[in-house]
Amino acid sequence: MPETDGHGASIELENLTKRYPGGARPAVENVSMEIKAGEVVVLVGPSGCGKSTTLKMINRLIEPTGGRIRMGGEDVTDIDPVGLRRKVGYAIQSAGLFPHMTVAQNIALVPRMIGWPRARIRARTEELLDLVGLDPGEFHGRYPRQLSGGQQQRVGVARALAADPPVLLMDEPFGAVDPITREHLQDELIRLQHELRKTIVFVTHDFDEAIKIGDRIAVLRERSHIAQFDTPEAILTNPADDFVSGFVGAGAALKRLNLTRVRDVEITDYPTVTIDDPLQQIFNRLRAAGTNEVLLLDRRGRPYKWLRRGDLMRARGSLARAGTLVHDTVTRDATLRDALEAVLTDNIGRVAVTGRRGEYTGVVDMETLLNSVHDMLEADRLDALEHQQELEELRAAQTNAEQEGGGSVTGVGGFGGTR
Amino acid sequence: MNFWEYLAGRHQQLLTDAYQHASAVFQCMAVATVLGVLIGVATYRSEWAGNLATTATATVLTVPALALIGLLIPVVGLGVAPTVIALTLYGLLPVVRNAIVGLRGVDPSLVDAATGIGMSRPARLLRIELPLAWPPILTGIRVATQMLMGIAAIAAYASGPGLGNVIFRGLASLGSANALNQVLAGTLGIIVLALLFDAAYVLVGRLTIPRGIRA
Amino acid sequence: MTAPGQVRTAPEPAGEDEAEAPRTPPGPPPRRVGWQKLTVLPAVLVAVLLATWLWFEQADLDALSRNALSGGQVSKALWQHIQLTAISTFFVLIIAIPLGILLTRPAFRRATPVAMAFANMGQATPAIGLLALLVIWLGIGRRAALIGIIVYAVLPVLSNTITGLKANDPTLLEAARGIGMSPVGVLTRVELPLAVPLILAGVRTALVLNVGTATLAVFGGGGGLGVLITTGITNQRMPVLVLGSVLTVVLALLVDWLASLAEVLLRPRGLQP
Repeated sequence: MPETDGHGASIELENLTKRYPGGARPAVENVSMEIKAGEVVVLVGPSGCGKSTTLKMINRLIEPTGGRIRMGGEDVTDIDPVGLRRKVGYAIQSAGLFPHMTVAQNIALVPRMIGWPRARIRARTEELLDLVGLDPGEFHGRYPRQLSGGQQQRVGVARALAADPPVLLMDEPFGAVDPITREHLQDELIRLQHELRKTIVFVTHDFDEAIKIGDRIAVLRERSHIAQFDTPEAILTNPADDFVSGFVGAGAALKRLNLTRVRDVEITDYPTVTIDDPLQQIFNRLRAAGTNEVLLLDRRGRPYKWLRRGDLMRARGSLARAGTLVHDTVTRDATLRDALEAVLTDNIGRVAVTGRRGEYTGVVDMETLLNSVHDMLEADRLDALEHQQELEELRAAQTNAEQEGGGSVTGVGGFGGTR
Repeated sequence: MNFWEYLAGRHQQLLTDAYQHASAVFQCMAVATVLGVLIGVATYRSEWAGNLATTATATVLTVPALALIGLLIPVVGLGVAPTVIALTLYGLLPVVRNAIVGLRGVDPSLVDAATGIGMSRPARLLRIELPLAWPPILTGIRVATQMLMGIAAIAAYASGPGLGNVIFRGLASLGSANALNQVLAGTLGIIVLALLFDAAYVLVGRLTIPRGIRA
Repeated sequence: MTAPGQVRTAPEPAGEDEAEAPRTPPGPPPRRVGWQKLTVLPAVLVAVLLATWLWFEQADLDALSRNALSGGQVSKALWQHIQLTAISTFFVLIIAIPLGILLTRPAFRRATPVAMAFANMGQATPAIGLLALLVIWLGIGRRAALIGIIVYAVLPVLSNTITGLKANDPTLLEAARGIGMSPVGVLTRVELPLAVPLILAGVRTALVLNVGTATLAVFGGGGGLGVLITTGITNQRMPVLVLGSVLTVVLALLVDWLASLAEVLLRPRGLQP
């Protein structure tokens, strides 16, 4: 096993096969895959395709009947599975928290098993709860059934991360929570991964989830055969075959919006006033701004209202009544899809971008969004063409090599034979 | 002599009998619990073995107490031995059955999670499965204890210890002034003991069942 | 409560206290009656009887033993025992099951917890004590013994019935009312058929319980196989003791086996597990 220095370790699967006794065909057949350290790889495929089985073979919850597994370059196919699992985090659907243990006890399980000192375990538990966005003081002593589904799932992730394993396996971890919570948890996972840089193997049947969180996606068909293993961009714009395009589904261009984040597009500045400014200053600002509206911020610098020129007049100078409330804002980590959604709901033609504590940092407007998407799709198309060309060249080269090399191989054999 | 005078006069003897009654039931129940949980742990994962264990212990329970004691006397003689053996055997079923049901009822995804985070088989059993199966096991122990209270009374006929002796003394002296007092004292004594045990189990439940899985 | 046999189908005392209720209420083990079950037990019982008979053939009985076993005393005790069991079971069923149905009707629903509490209190009463009290009150004889046996079995069968009727899926009952059935219709066409397995379980409980309690009838002058057992114990005559015990065990297991067969055969088709 690799050192648990906190950062990810690479995983190599080589011809991994699982054959159940009595089964006519293997459940998983010859899966080979190289996962780089610190990468998020999503295994996605229809139910029954063997994606979960493949995942469970990595920590040997299911013993492979053939093939090798290497982690951080070390062959772990035959080492003690219990020891292996203590160094590989594991999070499952509906969290799998032990109901008779408190949140803290659940998280502390693995550190306790590997013999961490008490004080270190306590500190780690608090740190992890904080990391997954739960207040340690409040949640420490609670039992799982006193938590919502989303909170349970956060604790499940915290437990998986407890001993700081380099590798994290997640088996449809967000499958049992409602869509809104799921979105949140996905965002959280992305944020976490930004800090932690683990190697994550993530199983899901939801392709949208896969593009949202995967650095690379392996689309699996039956018996875990890899239909395509590539970046989300490449799979969206250039699906390998009909199976993959069927799985990608309609609206690839819209899904493409999920792949780019607000921080990747141009965030512009916008005239703002704060709620404590004197009215005269606000009027001046409105007049001088050269835009139709200004953004009114509250005392903590958070977007509060959009003020139009006539609004203050109509409201007879009362800020409380004037303008339209800001319904939706996005962070720099939000996807362009979220941004588009927000633009459409607020009907202002732009959305405010906020920082960590909800404070205003800039705006993204509709035009910027449209242009970026257009540019992106254009770039993807060029990439795809280039990729295809490369592939064709490669294939041509291969055919050439085979045609020429065929003789040379026999030649070498013959040469060896004569020695 | 009314009942209260009888109690006042014989309280020494009655307390001794009550103590012996409770002690016999408690000790046999302790042995039955250990054996029953061990049998449950050994058999729950196999459909076949688990059902066999349940059927076998259920069959023991079908046998009337007096007959079982009757069969034990030629082998182990009269007195404490047949009482202890019979009580332990009768105490097994509820524990075995509830242990098997409880252990089988543990959510497989929790066992999967426990394995996945690197718990060894004994750790899984001790830290996850048995604690989760403990509430039904405790219920089994309660049911069994109540039953043993009555069986212990019957065992007094084979010279076993306890309050059954008081009842049988009353039965032997039917018609005498003290018969009713004796039977009443024995019967009420057993009821009180049973209720005390029950209260003790409620307390044990509060102390040993984590809040997270209390109903 | 004492007599063995009860626990198999008796309700768990869960429920009576919220802290104790198990997450998965342990019910009776699933019964799948295969041909093995049909043949194994009778075969074993026949073998046991045969072995006992062979043992008796070579055992030399003294006068006292011969006296205790002669003159049709054994068959008389056996017959008495069967009668005690059958009669008491009959009364237990006609008391406990209608009472259970009554107590689950809306009008009496508030009495249900009281009855259940009463039933649970009854669990703590030793059978022998109950019987002895009845003998003192009613005098020695078969009547006291029978009443004792009945009282002792009514409570578990009653609480079984109540538990079972309450466990009927409320959406089914709602559906029955929704399609316009009268309360009587709901009871006779939906609730009772659904409760058949439960009533059969009650029959089995009562039978097994009563076979056991009937051995105690001897202490109230009610006869039965207990006579042989007590004679054997008091006179230190092992053959008498063993014969009485073996016959009791065989009878108990046979009755339980028959009841289990009835449970499977009489269960409505759709409710087969």
